[in-house]
Amino acid sequence: METLNFLLQGFAVALTPENLMFAAIGAILGTVIGALPGLGPANGVAILIPLAFSLGLPASSALILLTSVYAGAMYGGRISSILLNIPGDEPAMMTCLDGYPMALKGRAAEALAISAIASFIGSLLATVGLVILAPILAKFALRFGPAEYFALFTLAFATLGGITGKNQVKTVVAACLGLMIATVGVDITTGNQRYTYDILELYEGVDFIIAIVGLFAISELLFFIEMHAGEGFKKVSLNKLNLSMKDIIQVLPTCLRGSVLGFIAGVLPGAGASLGSFLSYTMEKKIVGKSGYFGEGDPRGVAAPEAGNNAAANGALVPMLTLGVPGSGTTAVLLAMLISLNIQPGPMLFTQNAELVWGVIAALFVGNLILLLLNIPMIGIFVKLLSIPPKYLMPVVTLVASVGIFAISNSPLDLYFMIGFGLLGYLLRKLHIPLVPVILGMLLGPEMEKSLRHALTISDGDWTILWSSGLSVGIWAVAIAGLVLPYLIGPVLRRRMAAAQDRDHSIVD
Amino acid sequence: MIGDRILGVVLLLLAVVYGWEAAMFPEPFGGSEAVGPETFPLILSVVLGLSSIYLLVRPDEDEEWPHMKMLAELGFVLLILAIFTLMLQPVGFIPATTLMVGVLCWRMGAKPLPSVFTGVGSAVVVYVLFNFLLELHLPAGLLKLSGG
Repeated sequence: METLNFLLQGFAVALTPENLMFAAIGAILGTVIGALPGLGPANGVAILIPLAFSLGLPASSALILLTSVYAGAMYGGRISSILLNIPGDEPAMMTCLDGYPMALKGRAAEALAISAIASFIGSLLATVGLVILAPILAKFALRFGPAEYFALFTLAFATLGGITGKNQVKTVVAACLGLMIATVGVDITTGNQRYTYDILELYEGVDFIIAIVGLFAISELLFFIEMHAGEGFKKVSLNKLNLSMKDIIQVLPTCLRGSVLGFIAGVLPGAGASLGSFLSYTMEKKIVGKSGYFGEGDPRGVAAPEAGNNAAANGALVPMLTLGVPGSGTTAVLLAMLISLNIQPGPMLFTQNAELVWGVIAALFVGNLILLLLNIPMIGIFVKLLSIPPKYLMPVVTLVASVGIFAISNSPLDLYFMIGFGLLGYLLRKLHIPLVPVILGMLLGPEMEKSLRHALTISDGDWTILWSSGLSVGIWAVAIAGLVLPYLIGPVLRRRMAAAQDRDHSIVD
Repeated sequence: MIGDRILGVVLLLLAVVYGWEAAMFPEPFGGSEAVGPETFPLILSVVLGLSSIYLLVRPDEDEEWPHMKMLAELGFVLLILAIFTLMLQPVGFIPATTLMVGVLCWRMGAKPLPSVFTGVGSAVVVYVLFNFLLELHLPAGLLKLSGG
């Protein structure tokens, strides 16, 4: 009942005309960002953080704007999957399998509409799940001491590569780089300078927003140029929508199953949206059996992964909000936004900033409804946007990113840092070092070090405190499993995902 | 193979230098405690060092690296971004942006005229949007002298 009360208060925050406007703007921008190949949700949210920041928006409005962008990007990802056979982001990959064949058969509009409905159901159910689960987890997390937190942060890194991760050592390297960057600056506890080399600008450390924009947006620009992707892609044209109630009812059970599975995958560490959509697709194929025509444009093959990945995206907010430990790239960027607004996520968030959290959760409901309403009638406009060639789009995106960074403190030095991180991001991606752990390292570094010190101060230097409680032993066990399991299960899962895609391509060719 | 090996060497060096500097941190005011400013960096240094040795021993297959010409192209793009930054305050937002966006469009394969058009267009739109609608002041630069 308490939860319901809070939620109602949240709606009171989210439904003010101003915040409704921010939710709508965010939803539109997010859909556009998600739809354009190569931009992706993490990138999009990253570019918009400095803007939301320098506009001086109140915390709740900034959060509502950016969570709507996040939700919108998840919706947008499907558009390019269906029309171009290119996923706008990784989780949208499975949508290509049946979405593109549907479009080839002249049923692009139906595929888009069904995926919009599936996305809506997935997000809606997952947000309900978030409302139920988050306060429980937050209460439970109050038992965590500094030792448990230290283990939990380690777990976040260990599972970040995901169960399908290729080279876990590279995830560890990336995490170390991020954590090392986080140690630059004046040490908060002792006032010692660390790695500042007497450069005044480094005293406060390296701003992670600059790093995020550089690593994502600038390196993306370099990749576009290297791949000569400036001309854009050939796309399937859009037909007139012809969708009956029967079609919707046919995919409804699929949506429900996909949502539940996706939500669970989103909440669990190391699974994430990609696995969520993969699992819902494969399960649906098994359940429907021979009567389905998966891979050849079965609407259920569009609905399952879309419900799954949207549910997983919202499910991933549960650990991010309650523990301060994000499970994916985009939630890591959302965490960056919270920290830069001076809000420390974690169990206390639900008691100290109740109004804010519930406002954001309510905004997710509102944003979803706006997205569904936008995405069915206005799909034509979003599709038109896809025909803007990247050769004009990417330079303008780069401009918007640079302006945002410059606007934070009017300092050209920040821009040089951004360019430097862009180069670093390009090199790391070329060497298959994932970028998300670098960012997460920069974000979690200070808290992680603080919990280590805190734990060791309590125990007076006895390191065994780190694994002295049952809870922390459990967390360490999961962390180790997260690091080791991909070596055992990863190859099998990866082969299956690749096989599913190959089948799809052989049909298309 | 070679890519990961080079990476391994660079990271190993980084780990050693980083760790060595951490060990050299002056003792904090008020005496040393169980955990000081150097504890966490030392852990990181060890973890990174071990990981980089793993990379040296078991490197992955190499990604295809671009040819010299493409590397020069990418370097040029970074240079353009740096020139944009350099011009931003003294010369002003609109000329700097026109140059940056225009050249980037051109290098991505657009024809010169549409490139210039995109450059000028985005510069003016973003400038007006920021200065008048969002009230964030971008540097006017030289235009200030003529426009007041």
